[in-house]
Amino acid sequence: MIRVTDIVKAFDGHRILDGVSLEVKQGEVTALVGPSGGGKSTLLRCINGLETFTSGRITVGSITLMGGVPHAEPLLVELRRTIGMVFQQFHLFPHMTALENVMSGPRFALGLSRQECEPAARKLLDRVGLSHKYDAKPANLSGGQQQRVAIARSLAVKPTAILFDEPTSALDPKMAVEVLSVMRDLAHDGQTMIVVTHDMDLAREAHIVHVMEAGRIARSGPPAECLI
Amino acid sequence: MLRIAFLVLLLCAGAGFAQEKPTLRWGMDETGGAPYVYDNQTRGFEVELAQYLAEQLGRTSVPISGDWSKLPELLRNGELDIVLNGYEYSEQFRDCASVPYYIYRLGLVVHRDSAIRDWADLRAQPGQPKKTVLVLQGSAAQRYLENRYGDDINLRMSDDVASAFDLVANRQNADATVQDNPAVAYYQQADASQRLRTAGAARAPGLYVILTRPADRELRQQIDAAIRKGIREGTLLRIYEKYGLATPDQDWLLFLTGRDWPPPPGAFPAWETIPTPEEVGTSVGSLGPSRAIDWSQVLGKLLSGAGMTIFLAVTSFPLAVLLGLLLAIARVYGPRWLAGLAAIYVEVIRGTPLLLQLFFLFYLLPRLLGSIVTVSIPPELAGILGLAINYAAYEAENYRAGLLAIPRGQMEAALALGMTRRTAIRRIVVPQAVRIVLPPVTNDFIALFKDTSVCSVILITELTRQYNVLYNNHRDQIIVLAALTALLYLAMSYPQALFAQWLDRKFARGEGGTR
Repeated sequence: MIRVTDIVKAFDGHRILDGVSLEVKQGEVTALVGPSGGGKSTLLRCINGLETFTSGRITVGSITLMGGVPHAEPLLVELRRTIGMVFQQFHLFPHMTALENVMSGPRFALGLSRQECEPAARKLLDRVGLSHKYDAKPANLSGGQQQRVAIARSLAVKPTAILFDEPTSALDPKMAVEVLSVMRDLAHDGQTMIVVTHDMDLAREAHIVHVMEAGRIARSGPPAECLI
Repeated sequence: MLRIAFLVLLLCAGAGFAQEKPTLRWGMDETGGAPYVYDNQTRGFEVELAQYLAEQLGRTSVPISGDWSKLPELLRNGELDIVLNGYEYSEQFRDCASVPYYIYRLGLVVHRDSAIRDWADLRAQPGQPKKTVLVLQGSAAQRYLENRYGDDINLRMSDDVASAFDLVANRQNADATVQDNPAVAYYQQADASQRLRTAGAARAPGLYVILTRPADRELRQQIDAAIRKGIREGTLLRIYEKYGLATPDQDWLLFLTGRDWPPPPGAFPAWETIPTPEEVGTSVGSLGPSRAIDWSQVLGKLLSGAGMTIFLAVTSFPLAVLLGLLLAIARVYGPRWLAGLAAIYVEVIRGTPLLLQLFFLFYLLPRLLGSIVTVSIPPELAGILGLAINYAAYEAENYRAGLLAIPRGQMEAALALGMTRRTAIRRIVVPQAVRIVLPPVTNDFIALFKDTSVCSVILITELTRQYNVLYNNHRDQIIVLAALTALLYLAMSYPQALFAQWLDRKFARGEGGTR
């Protein structure tokens, strides 16, 4: 469902991504691990068009991004409605309540009315265990709660895949547990996910692991083979 | 050694020469000053009068310029020896005025195609808009029209004679102007395309006097003697003839200056109390002595000025905020050419004074466009637009700072949800930026509130202008008037400060924190 073919991203003569190819199948959980600066996050950001790349191609369903050219906005919008993203720093919208955050995608990206999307949004917050925090502003939520709202927010537009960019790195272990359990549930429900992480326990639960070093995939395979 | 001695000698000689002839510092305002004082203070009937007086007093004439309505204050503070600039005699100058040196009248000047044939035509006709009449702020013409015509005309005040004639000649927001006959004579002759004509006979005669400090009795006597001599010997009349100002009224000068001066109180009934031909037979109720201050009327005028101030502020600021926000968005998110244009706008507007922008909008723009389309921008509209255009530049910078302060992650999160850039800006970034810059923006509103006073240059009577008008008519009450005016400004801006604090608290709560 997601196919990355030989992509290169060069910046100031430095190759951040140096010919990366990988494939993600429907319902599969993929972990990207490796040392910092290896290009994991950059690869993730290229996949949903937040960054451009120098050459190669990325295909998501029927959409293809080509390297070396700026992406057209309609294409990007279509791509991002297919692939959601969860950030290390959550990036919740601070001027909105938890519920409004979850509804922001359906309302402003899909053009639904508040009434149309509110029941589904409530259900999503229930699903991530925040049924008591509908009207809380992000500033009044803990880090773990914020990240769970962010996951619910990305789910609200019903993406076929979700990219997680170090989702637990900004959280203390106790809060990370809350987030991990939500992610585990999603995986169990067959949600396609790509997870960039330093958390080996999390990586161990993936179907396939790619270890990235210096802009390349050093080795790939099931966790048992790849992770020592 | 020799050279130094020579220098010392020269300096002594210079100092000695200066001491030999004391100066006569006379105050005047050269702005639109023809035919009184013009051409760099080298020409004008008052320049020649000052030279004549200085000569008679054995002094050197030194013209000193200042704002016309503030000349008496400069005199009081000792910056001047006398004020010689078309100040008309009234009871308030009893203890400091010289004998009169000129008898003026008020002339009514209109465009040559105007329907106004005489003073009576100034009155509002049923079913027609009021006539707009321009006068110099604080002039006898202003008091005359206020007393005689009141609400029957739309009276507008300017600080500058030249622009008043200019607006009438261009039929721009003005039907007529009422000015002293010397100015009328000069500007009519200076108008090469003969667009100006007088309507009806000049009326309401008054006396130009020289003002001195009340304590300078000796100087006043010397000046009186010199003026009397100049009138007796015909010197003054020859000066007036040179400028085409020797009206038949001047025959009375000899008579007036031959009598005791100053006249006993009430000897000259103020012309407000004498009915004009058109008023004979009608009842003109309010024609009492006008100098006594009527505090309820004063307060009413100040409040109406304050009302205009509020009106200008609350109409222009929302426009400024809207335009400023669009400019900021263009600068931060727009394509390069648009961002460049917005940057140029901000720099040009911030880099030029509001006063000039208002002048351009009100006086020059209609004339520049005049060849293509006939536009006439009413003063209030020009004021609102001018303030909005000016403050938009400052608000643009506020909002730009706000937009740049929003973490990049906010935009990325919005895009990742599938929003277009436009939607992300509108729904996610702008609402946050607006909240962040609330304090500087409300601060600017208070600043704009006070900047509305600049609109007085385009004939708008707001609070500051109203204060100036009142203080010109009641100079003895300057401290009370100034305090009242300041109090009104404070009474209007302090609630805004409280409101700003409230807004700030409201949005600070539960909104800050992590992003």
